[in-house]
Amino acid sequence: MAKLLLIEDDAATAEEILGDLRGRGHDVAWAATGPEGAERARGAPWDAIVLDRMLPGLDGLTLLRGLRGAGDRTPALVLSALSDVDERIRGLRAGGDDYLAKPFVLAELAARIEALLRRPADTRETLLRVGSLEIDLIAGTGRRGSRDLDLLPRELTLLEYLMRRSGQVVTRALLFEEVWNYRFTPKSNLIDVHLGRLRRKLEAAGEPPVIHSVRGIGFTLVPDDGPR
Amino acid sequence: MTDRLSELLRSATFRWALGIALWSALLALVMFGFVYWQTAAFLREELAETLRLEVRAAAEDPAGATGRVETWIAMDRHATHYGGVFGRDGVRRAGNLVARPAGLADDGDAARVGATIETADGPIADEIWATALALPDGGTVVIGHDTDEIDRVRTTTLRAMSLGLVPALLLSGLGGLVLASRARRRLAATEAALAEVRRGDLRRRLPVGTRDDEFDRLARDVNRMLDEIERLLEEVRSVGDAVAHDLRTPLTRLRARLERSREQATTVEELRDAIDQGLAWIDQTLAMVTAVLRIGEIEHGRRAAGFSAFDLATVVREAAELFAPLAEDGGVSLGVAVAPGPVPVRGDRDLVFEALANLIDNAVKFTPPGGGVRVGLAETGRFALVSVEDTGPGIPLPERARVFRRFYRAEPARPTPGNGLGLGLVAAIAGLHGFPVEVGEADGGGARFTMLCPRETERGADRRAGRAPERNAAP
Repeated sequence: MAKLLLIEDDAATAEEILGDLRGRGHDVAWAATGPEGAERARGAPWDAIVLDRMLPGLDGLTLLRGLRGAGDRTPALVLSALSDVDERIRGLRAGGDDYLAKPFVLAELAARIEALLRRPADTRETLLRVGSLEIDLIAGTGRRGSRDLDLLPRELTLLEYLMRRSGQVVTRALLFEEVWNYRFTPKSNLIDVHLGRLRRKLEAAGEPPVIHSVRGIGFTLVPDDGPR
Repeated sequence: MTDRLSELLRSATFRWALGIALWSALLALVMFGFVYWQTAAFLREELAETLRLEVRAAAEDPAGATGRVETWIAMDRHATHYGGVFGRDGVRRAGNLVARPAGLADDGDAARVGATIETADGPIADEIWATALALPDGGTVVIGHDTDEIDRVRTTTLRAMSLGLVPALLLSGLGGLVLASRARRRLAATEAALAEVRRGDLRRRLPVGTRDDEFDRLARDVNRMLDEIERLLEEVRSVGDAVAHDLRTPLTRLRARLERSREQATTVEELRDAIDQGLAWIDQTLAMVTAVLRIGEIEHGRRAAGFSAFDLATVVREAAELFAPLAEDGGVSLGVAVAPGPVPVRGDRDLVFEALANLIDNAVKFTPPGGGVRVGLAETGRFALVSVEDTGPGIPLPERARVFRRFYRAEPARPTPGNGLGLGLVAAIAGLHGFPVEVGEADGGGARFTMLCPRETERGADRRAGRAPERNAAP
């Protein structure tokens, strides 16, 4: 699927990440040191780069700054074992597009890479249609087929986020960050409760489900057959 | 013994005592000198006054001058009175002075001069105090007194002083030694206690006397410091114990589950179930480790870089909104009382949200179905007061101070799931911001948590945005 570069010095961690991403169909190359990573990053076009914050030889953030300075806009995700939360700000400031603190769940990493690879093309669009779902962001209304949905503002934002990424798995942490716009990891059932409400509203008239849980990871919106 | 002596000689207390001894000896010397000087001056002035009166009396009565001088000389049997009447040519007419003392002005004032005195053993030269006045016939009358008396007083005083100085020095030196060794003994006890503490006995305290002097106060201060150190270490130890304990439980379960599945699972499905369960337990332990690290990180104040002005009213409303469905599912009504309009405060918006989320989460968790949770934001002058009240069992008074400690779970909370870190995190976040956070009792007997946040004033914002760049501001 996508051509990815992983720059990670810990062989065991790298092996797990490589195994997982390859299992999902990605073509992943591995560099174990900063200088090697920098060389490979410049050597070929990549769809995305995943790099560790602390690398031998050349610090991950310095590497990233170098790439950005040279005009390289390849989406990059920074991994860090540093617990300092300010690290995230530093990572993003150095040109990272996303940031993930260790220890992380492999599925979370995969979902975030997907998100980087498939950024919604046009976020200015205000009328969205996925299968039988339709929302009007300006009017603040939603419909499923011919049925009007009674959605709270937050539910509308949630639905919008899922519709823009239909077919993609989004994790709870990603949802919380993007929809609620706060940065911390809430208890897992908190987001589930919100998703459950939205789901009930979407399926209130006995329609087939569109939002599916992905066990241990998060959720995905799968388009149904289309307007009925 | 020599060791102890040399130690004593080296000690600061001994040196102080020695210094004080020397100083008191010097002081005694100065006092003696002053007394001597005053006494001698008094004697001298008294003598001078007598001489002045005598010579004036003799001069006022020229005819009786000779007789008066003779009487003056005869008045003292120890031959210490001198006198003389001299003619215009300087020839003696009466008295026991051979000649008019040279250099003695005839102004009636007393002066110390050299003179030759006629005695039974012949004339002798001596220093005398004398006065002279002119007589109408051009002669002079001289009245004198020897200086031996004053000299004797001086000699005696000086001898007494030098003789007295030796015992005075000895005594003050001895006193210094006694004081120094007493101070040493007190310090030795303190040092011994401190050595015990250094060796690891943190329960040891310094001896405190009953005098309430500097030593006692210092010892008490050190003891208070030791109390605090012991408390902190105890806290660290109990946190460590709690972490270890709370980690061991899921890890033990995990180990057992893996072991059992390895032996017994026969289908891929069963193995997958075991792995899923294992992952859940690992996530639980990771969440706890992350929470402990986060509390540490926040307590060390490394997040001040993320401070900015934000609207607290929105954060309170959104935090309450986040928990509304959860509360509803649990049969708990969640009320929000926030006045319209923004309430600007300065801080880390994400962290404040997280603190509020923890408070609301707790309140919802401990409120039985049918109860209610009220989230409020009230403005009182320069402050905004965030409150979260519930109708749960409340927190008993003696436990209120402890709920913010890490891993502390109030008794009624024991059966409720949680790692006891939520309120610890709240306390750490409030501490980082300097927002006082308190726990009290709600009207219905439930718990009431409050957090007092200073409002961001426009002046404060201007100041920060203007001249001086904020120290913590992100570059």
